[in-house]
Amino acid sequence: MVGTPVLFVAIPLLAAFLIPLLGMIWKELVRIVPGLVLIYLMVLSVNLLNHVLVNGPIVEVIAGWAPPFGINLVFSAFSGFLVTLMVFLGLIVWIYSYRFKRNVGFEPAKKYFLLLMMLVTGAVGIVLTGDIFNMFVFIEITGISGYALTAFYTGRDSAEASFKYLMLGSIASTLLLLAIMILYSQLGTLNMAEIATKIHTVKPAYKVISLILFITALGIEAEIFPLNGWAPDAYAEAPGPVGAAFAGIVVKASVYAIIRYIYTIFDISGAYDFLIIIGMVTLIIAEFAAIRQEKLKRMLAYSSIGQMGLVLVAFGFGTKEGVFAALFLMLNHAIIKSLLFLSGSYLVYNSKDKTIAEVNGMHKFLPITSFLFALGAFAIVGLPPFAGFWSKLSVLTAAADSHMLFVMSLILMVSVVELVYYLRVVNRIYFFKKEESVEAKKPTFNALIAMLVLGALILVIGFYPDVITGVIHKASADLMDKTKYINDVLSIKQ
Amino acid sequence: MDSSLFQLLDYGVYGTAILVMLIGLYGALVKKSLLKVVIGLSVMESGLNLLIVALGYLKGGTAPIFSDGFLNGTNKVMVDPVPQALVLTAIVIGFGVTAVALSLVIRLYRHHGTLNIDEIKNLKW
Repeated sequence: MVGTPVLFVAIPLLAAFLIPLLGMIWKELVRIVPGLVLIYLMVLSVNLLNHVLVNGPIVEVIAGWAPPFGINLVFSAFSGFLVTLMVFLGLIVWIYSYRFKRNVGFEPAKKYFLLLMMLVTGAVGIVLTGDIFNMFVFIEITGISGYALTAFYTGRDSAEASFKYLMLGSIASTLLLLAIMILYSQLGTLNMAEIATKIHTVKPAYKVISLILFITALGIEAEIFPLNGWAPDAYAEAPGPVGAAFAGIVVKASVYAIIRYIYTIFDISGAYDFLIIIGMVTLIIAEFAAIRQEKLKRMLAYSSIGQMGLVLVAFGFGTKEGVFAALFLMLNHAIIKSLLFLSGSYLVYNSKDKTIAEVNGMHKFLPITSFLFALGAFAIVGLPPFAGFWSKLSVLTAAADSHMLFVMSLILMVSVVELVYYLRVVNRIYFFKKEESVEAKKPTFNALIAMLVLGALILVIGFYPDVITGVIHKASADLMDKTKYINDVLSIKQ
Repeated sequence: MDSSLFQLLDYGVYGTAILVMLIGLYGALVKKSLLKVVIGLSVMESGLNLLIVALGYLKGGTAPIFSDGFLNGTNKVMVDPVPQALVLTAIVIGFGVTAVALSLVIRLYRHHGTLNIDEIKNLKW
């Protein structure tokens, strides 16, 4: 053992608050320290995940108060898989923005890396914690750093996008706290495992009200359809790497929270059908909104919303195949959508309105970036030799296994829409003449490395899906087994 | 006082807290001035905090501190300490959110020269 789960929260949080002090000693430390922290967390999470896959989950008690009284962190196959994914994406975002942020000077870079550390802390904390109030605190940490990162550029309309995000986010946090307090007033405990053992004693009215409040609150963060008004603006106005961090880290954490509530804590079977319905509505509306977008990043944002809808549909099947498909899709979406945001933000770097029309003929000036964008576009649509194909295939087979042919055919129809708007962009990059006014910006060396790593991963998972499916199978089995989770947590005595 | 009056008082406290929350939500959603929106969000959080503290109250309970006075005294009822701890955390978080919101309001005012939400719509609302 090289460490314990609490380090995932403690180290980035400590680093975040040390960054301004370290910056006084040597300015370059501001950029280096986050990278060292993320590399350490990456090593730690891979090690712990290997340990957990063989020996079963690690439950860590904080401050010596055994569950159900104290806060506990649970590093199981499921949460460990997501933590590894998030830390990996944090690392990619760091590599990408290491030199990129050199252009903006010391003060903004300091704030950027500080907030990035806070974002990782919050998102990893949401996934690891076993206490619903603690999860609320981590959601707020993620939220506040997300608002500030959205408003990073002062020149654009970013403050407006950020204020919109903040307004919805703080309404969400009020609803979330209300839901937590309804559960607490009925059961007198905040521990997830203990709530799960006692939830059948709660009156249905309270149970349903609190589940609705939970889904509404978390749906705002997870970009579920009627509540996702903030997302396209925040993605479009935030810096490119922050868009990647939102798609890969923040949204994943919120979806985790919804799934944890529905699968482990509550015992309402109708919630699964509800997931399928809201997932389908989100998917269809987002994909049709994406095809109408003129700005590249807004299009990517709507595509991201649509993919999250598909993830919820796959979770809504409630079967082992469904959970497997959903986790595979989450992994692929995190990798591919990050690649699209990172390469896309170079394609529209110098253009004035960041529209799709301005990427015309970019492949002559940015050959590698354009190639990687096209790779990501084909992969996310689900064309065969790439990673996205396997996840979409597993969603469809899971739908077929659950005898939901209507859902299956709708997913296929929406995929055609997805193909159309991605091919439109790729077509413009490769076959249109470049406009004179737009000057291409060469990607920095670090950015190229970050994008190439993601591109290589898409190909590796595409050709050899077996490298990752074993882990995902264990993670999905871990999520499905509710009694084991409860026993693991409540058997801890300190 | 008889117990039904106490019960009425209980519901009164819950009702007031929920009313404060709704007033805050109304302010956040309907008012045109950005500052009033921020105040509305803040009022909504205060209403929720009031509700949480009221949920943890027991009739005739004292402060949840284990001291000699409590152990030797006649009153053996304590209020629930957990909601109070939660409210303390929620207040701090609310403070942080309000600070970020106000800094954004300052940025918006410098950029647009107005606080009216109808005039700040470069993005689709």
